[in-house]
Amino acid sequence: MMDQERFEELAAMNALGMLENDEKRALDGAVARDKELRTLTTELEQTTAELAYLIVPVEPPANMKKRIRAKMRATGVKGAGVSRGVVIGGIGWALAASFAVASVWLWREQAGLTQQLAAASRAMAPVNNPATPVVDDGKTRTLEEELKKRRDEFEAQKQALMTKIESLHKQETDASAQIAKLTAEVAALKEQEQQSQLQIATLQSKVWEYRRSEMLVVWDQKRSQGVVVLDKMPKVESDQDYQLWVVDPNKPDPVSAGVVTVDAKGSVKTSFKPVESVTGEAKFALSVEKKGGVPKSEGQLLMVGP
Amino acid sequence: MSQSELSEEDLLQRAGRGDSRAFDQLYDRMAPRLFGLLRQMLHDEREAEDILQDGFVQLWERASTFEAERSKAFTWAVMLFRHKAIDRMRMLGRRNRLVESAVLEQTILGASSHASADDEVQANERGVVVREALNELPKEQRQLIEFAFLKGLTHHVIAESMGIPLGTVKTNIRRGLLRLRDLLKGGA
Repeated sequence: MMDQERFEELAAMNALGMLENDEKRALDGAVARDKELRTLTTELEQTTAELAYLIVPVEPPANMKKRIRAKMRATGVKGAGVSRGVVIGGIGWALAASFAVASVWLWREQAGLTQQLAAASRAMAPVNNPATPVVDDGKTRTLEEELKKRRDEFEAQKQALMTKIESLHKQETDASAQIAKLTAEVAALKEQEQQSQLQIATLQSKVWEYRRSEMLVVWDQKRSQGVVVLDKMPKVESDQDYQLWVVDPNKPDPVSAGVVTVDAKGSVKTSFKPVESVTGEAKFALSVEKKGGVPKSEGQLLMVGP
Repeated sequence: MSQSELSEEDLLQRAGRGDSRAFDQLYDRMAPRLFGLLRQMLHDEREAEDILQDGFVQLWERASTFEAERSKAFTWAVMLFRHKAIDRMRMLGRRNRLVESAVLEQTILGASSHASADDEVQANERGVVVREALNELPKEQRQLIEFAFLKGLTHHVIAESMGIPLGTVKTNIRRGLLRLRDLLKGGA
């Protein structure tokens, strides 16, 4: 077979995911060297993917979006929940910074106006000591008239400046209040961001009797403690208990996090703390053990996750 | 322009810039068809859910690498999810054997026990074009491509499962896909 046909064949089977590992490596090597083959491989992959337009849609479980977000948080992906906090936090900081700049500007503006006011007051001084008559538009006014006119002008100017200073004072007060509010908001968002780094894990079982059971764990890695929520759990025998385990990749055996007792509806929400500290990225498991729990799991792990 | 009027390509690019509402919208539009694909490939509801979950996390992470001029958002997503499903099958050791329930009769694209199946496909304009192009292929090529697409099996297993010589499988897949590519490009 010609090389071209052979590689077309490999590209076609690659698009459908049919290649064995060694064939895939051979194709990848050829694709790296041959631009035309690279184009063909991409085109056939896209052609194949178009077949999915013929798939009959099936609605995923209603909680799937929540599961995706939980997974993002659990694996540290900057997901929607996390990123929103970061974005709002960033805006908060930006606003706070803007108001800080605005405050400095207002302060400088006020200082400038105060200087103008002082200069205006100084300007009045020579008029209070008139030496010569004043000529204005060819008309000679008496010194008293001129003094009164200038004093009125300066008074009006002074009044306007005082009003402006008062307005700036008010703006400064408002800006300070806004900064305080934004600072509090930023602190709250930072707190929220801190909380959003808590690990949330949903556990599900492949054991038939537990297929409808739900288990959610909120895990605080820093404090090595968490909260577990169970629902729709089947009843256990009177001499048995559910026991929660934390799987630490740095430890040979799961670490007991204590016995969990569900109510008549199979539900419970309770906090837990493993008997030993957990240093690695935690996973969680639930088993049925002897009444009162055991130091090392003896029963089948019914639910594991994430 | 509201989110509901945006194309899937726009939504994917926005998701790539961290727009979580665009991501939500994209999920609503794509998840049902992707979930349908994963269920058919994996023959296990729970496995399909796991891959759907992991796939959308990965889609969010990789969305910024999507280039609208190179592919459609949907086909880009299908490739991502299908690769994940094949990886999972490989991990479970399923790629080298046919799952008992995965008989050929159940692997015809667009067919389903649901009465609304045809309506679903018809409602999807591109689906009609793809179906027409697929119907242009000789039956043996079409069946092989549909089977291979939905099963994620190696060519050896497909040849064995369908009782066809390996060389025939390879030739039909090559000819069929090249022809399908040309037809979908608008060629004769």
